[in-house]
Amino acid sequence: MTYEEFADARLSALLRYAVMLTGDPHQAQDLVQETMVRVQLNWRRVARSDAPERYVRRMLTNQFIDWRRGSWARRVLLRGEPDEALPAPSDHAQSAVDRDQVWSWLSRLPRRQRATLVLRYYEDLPDAEIAEILGCAVGTVRSCISRALATLRAEYVEVC
Amino acid sequence: MIEDDLRAAFARREALTPPTGPVRAAIDRAVVRRRRRRLRLRLAGTALAVVAAALAGFTAIAPRPPETANLLATPSPTPTGALNVLLLGLDQAGTGRRADSVLLVHVPADRSRLYLVSLPRDLLVPIPGRGTDKLNASFAFGAGPSGKDLSAGYRATRQVVAQLTGVRIDAGAVLTYGATRELTDAVGGVSVCLPTAIRSYHTRRTYPAGCQRLDGAAAVDVLRQRYGLPDSGLDRDRNAGRYAAGLLTRVREQGVLTNPVLLSRLVTKVGPGLVTDTGELSLPALVSAAGNAASAEPVAVGLPVRYTEKQPYGFRLDPALAPGFLDALRADRLGEWTAAHPKQVTGLR
Repeated sequence: MTYEEFADARLSALLRYAVMLTGDPHQAQDLVQETMVRVQLNWRRVARSDAPERYVRRMLTNQFIDWRRGSWARRVLLRGEPDEALPAPSDHAQSAVDRDQVWSWLSRLPRRQRATLVLRYYEDLPDAEIAEILGCAVGTVRSCISRALATLRAEYVEVC
Repeated sequence: MIEDDLRAAFARREALTPPTGPVRAAIDRAVVRRRRRRLRLRLAGTALAVVAAALAGFTAIAPRPPETANLLATPSPTPTGALNVLLLGLDQAGTGRRADSVLLVHVPADRSRLYLVSLPRDLLVPIPGRGTDKLNASFAFGAGPSGKDLSAGYRATRQVVAQLTGVRIDAGAVLTYGATRELTDAVGGVSVCLPTAIRSYHTRRTYPAGCQRLDGAAAVDVLRQRYGLPDSGLDRDRNAGRYAAGLLTRVREQGVLTNPVLLSRLVTKVGPGLVTDTGELSLPALVSAAGNAASAEPVAVGLPVRYTEKQPYGFRLDPALAPGFLDALRADRLGEWTAAHPKQVTGLR
């Protein structure tokens, strides 16, 4: 597989994944760009791995988790929340607000926990694969998810 | 429940995903920029002049006035036995400077000729305190992050080369781009015979196949090129050997080696870009030893290596040829070895 074929096939999926990780389309774009630049420069190594897609996803996830180290992440986000680009809620107003709150609480989670939730509930990956992407044990993934969910539930209780 | 809310929240954000077209273009642009930056950092190679080194290099200490006096005085015992001189060509100034051209000049005990042994910069070697890394990195480890301490960088590389080859390094010199340029111009240009045409990646100049005289700027340009050459870095090392041989010829023709006044004038011209170490030997003694050996055409030979296709990437000693070669180097029998292995010898004409 060449880099071009890979980008044709996977770039939009990676962008979606990055949006879920960062919660912001601009940061998602930066994150994907930074990762894909490295992918392209080191394409031979990436292509030689068993599953290039998973390899790249792992690079992207690590980049996200470590982003304070990178210069692109030092920028300050000045846009207010919630995002105006969202489709208007079509159902009951209060329930829409509640659900948006889930999104804003997400941003307060540690990055690693957030990444775990995205991989579990957006990408629907099995625990074993999540563990591989994050480079940790399966048990760590499970405890990560349950801790993140517990945090979100506690927020729920406070609001209700 | 909360899991469902999460799924729903994620699903609704899919609409935020930016279009791929502009991202793709931005990635490609950034890759081009990054490649260029990488090149700029790495390039180099300069192989500098190395050999001159063999000759003029020794003199480099001479620019300081007391040394010059010493040089002209000349009464010191000429060393007997084989000598090994390490010449390092540095890449561009900046942080993490590396020695991209590593040439070991072997002066046999019989002083019959000089052997120019090039060591590939991508050779994987044990570096004390740093595990295994490329040969050119040893200079950067020694020179420190600012890349300013050329003597410390030289000492680090000397230790690694001595360990690798098992020979004592008696003297050495470090050349920057600037020193190579000055040196080349000071001797009135150097003749180099290229086996294939070279198009400079840096200046877009083209150097045709065949023999030509290069001035300082052109010599540095040629010594930096490795892209587009059939054997890449190894061919660059061979060109460094060819340049060194040409420089030797030039220096000999002008009588620099036998005339201390000319020698000290040359050294003064090259200036501070040249750092030398003559160890326990005196400068005149070294020059006289090298001068005798330099009267015959030198033999340029590459350390036999093989590329490894697994990590860490780089060259390793060729298990079939390297032990014999290194034994010959240690036992001062390079003449026999190069006669038996003509393929390892770089054509100079």
